Amino acid sequence: MIPGIRRILAALLLSVFLLTTACTAAPPSRFDQAQQESSRQRSGQAVAKDATQGSEFNKFFPAPGGGYDRVYTQEKKGFAEANLKRDGKVLAQLAVSDTTSTPGAAAKFSNSTRQIAGYPAVQIGNSQTAVLVGKYQVKVLSKDPTFTAADREAWIKKFNLAGLAKLA
Amino acid sequence: MSKPIFDLVDDLPTSNMTVSLLNALDFAAPGQWQNLVGFVNTIKAVTGETDENLIQQIGDRAVYLYNDRSQGYQRAMWLYQTVDSTDKALGAAALANKVGDSVGFLGFLKNVTPKADKAQTIDLCLKLVTELIAFCQINGIPGDSIGDFVASLGEYSGESMIRMAALVCVDGLLPLGPDFIQRALSSISNTTPQELEKSNTFRNIRDDIPGQDSGSKLNFIGQSFDSVKGWMSNLVANRDLSPQKVATNLQSFMQVADDKLDYVAAFLDVSTNYYEHTGTQTLARRLIERAVAEI
Repeated sequence: MIPGIRRILAALLLSVFLLTTACTAAPPSRFDQAQQESSRQRSGQAVAKDATQGSEFNKFFPAPGGGYDRVYTQEKKGFAEANLKRDGKVLAQLAVSDTTSTPGAAAKFSNSTRQIAGYPAVQIGNSQTAVLVGKYQVKVLSKDPTFTAADREAWIKKFNLAGLAKLA
Repeated sequence: MSKPIFDLVDDLPTSNMTVSLLNALDFAAPGQWQNLVGFVNTIKAVTGETDENLIQQIGDRAVYLYNDRSQGYQRAMWLYQTVDSTDKALGAAALANKVGDSVGFLGFLKNVTPKADKAQTIDLCLKLVTELIAFCQINGIPGDSIGDFVASLGEYSGESMIRMAALVCVDGLLPLGPDFIQRALSSISNTTPQELEKSNTFRNIRDDIPGQDSGSKLNFIGQSFDSVKGWMSNLVANRDLSPQKVATNLQSFMQVADDKLDYVAAFLDVSTNYYEHTGTQTLARRLIERAVAEI
């Protein structure tokens, strides 16, 4: 009699335990590893201390004109970004980043087989074209299907790449 | 440790009082907002990329950026979360009391108390200041001139646009009436630092508001409101917004008594968290836009 109750109690406790742990533990995420690695310190893990300020990049962006607007959207340490617009519509994003913080971003150019304006160039995914100018990555990202890879290349050439090279 | 950014975006609700409210406010910012939830979903929607390896790289970089405190993203998230004074139990109870397609707000009348004009004005202004500070934490101060900065503010669309439309409708027009801008301006100019210090929201976020003491923080709050009043009155004029129009559209999901709009506002204040909800979406979008450009 008593061992029987014990067994039932044990089974009950076990199921309660399983139920509560199953409900509290977050499901694993494909980003867990990045979360763990980047939580070990409070700051500096994403952006290098000696990265160039984003404000230094603004003057090398293509000038607006010819029906195109350029609206700066982000300016952080090591990064600056602007929307390229026409008739109020965002066609592309223009960005400069310091690869000191992202060595992998610079490394991908070592496999580059082509150049734009004399700088190693790569195409990434469906929507991105980039060149490496010294330690800086210049990237144009299509935000509209009408903005093609050829457009991205043309707008990369409109950056003041030589000026940016001197900054590096 | 604070919650990972991917959990925050994955955990955004697909249906609750906040989502119903934002959908009902579509008339004030037509087509601007879809309830984009899920971290990977957001990466795909923002970047247009489908390659799993690329999505992993973008997400990993976004996680790193979010966790680097020097980058301001966690501060912005905290601000968006803190400025909402949600009583989640009330929101859940309201939804549980749905009558047909409509939330039975009338049953909750006795549970909510409209704020006095001054307290409501302070809340409205603090939400605006929060938006300004969170914007700078997320985006920096883009461009080389005041004009560049104002233009970057003008890029408000999507989640940011519906958040500002909701602010005007729910924290401006409903509780304060059609002339809410003038009333808020005169009310804030008559507010003393001591009155400001009575606000719970102010006490929570005071360290993030520029200024040495409550007096200079109050000045900053007043100046911020003054600088966006033109933008707000344009929104009201362009969309022909009025308390009645807001109330009519809210009837798509809740029972509204036309003579108790201040109660409706108080009820929505405690049963929704539209700042936190859309703020999470705005932050995720900007973080991902940066991550994809940097990898």
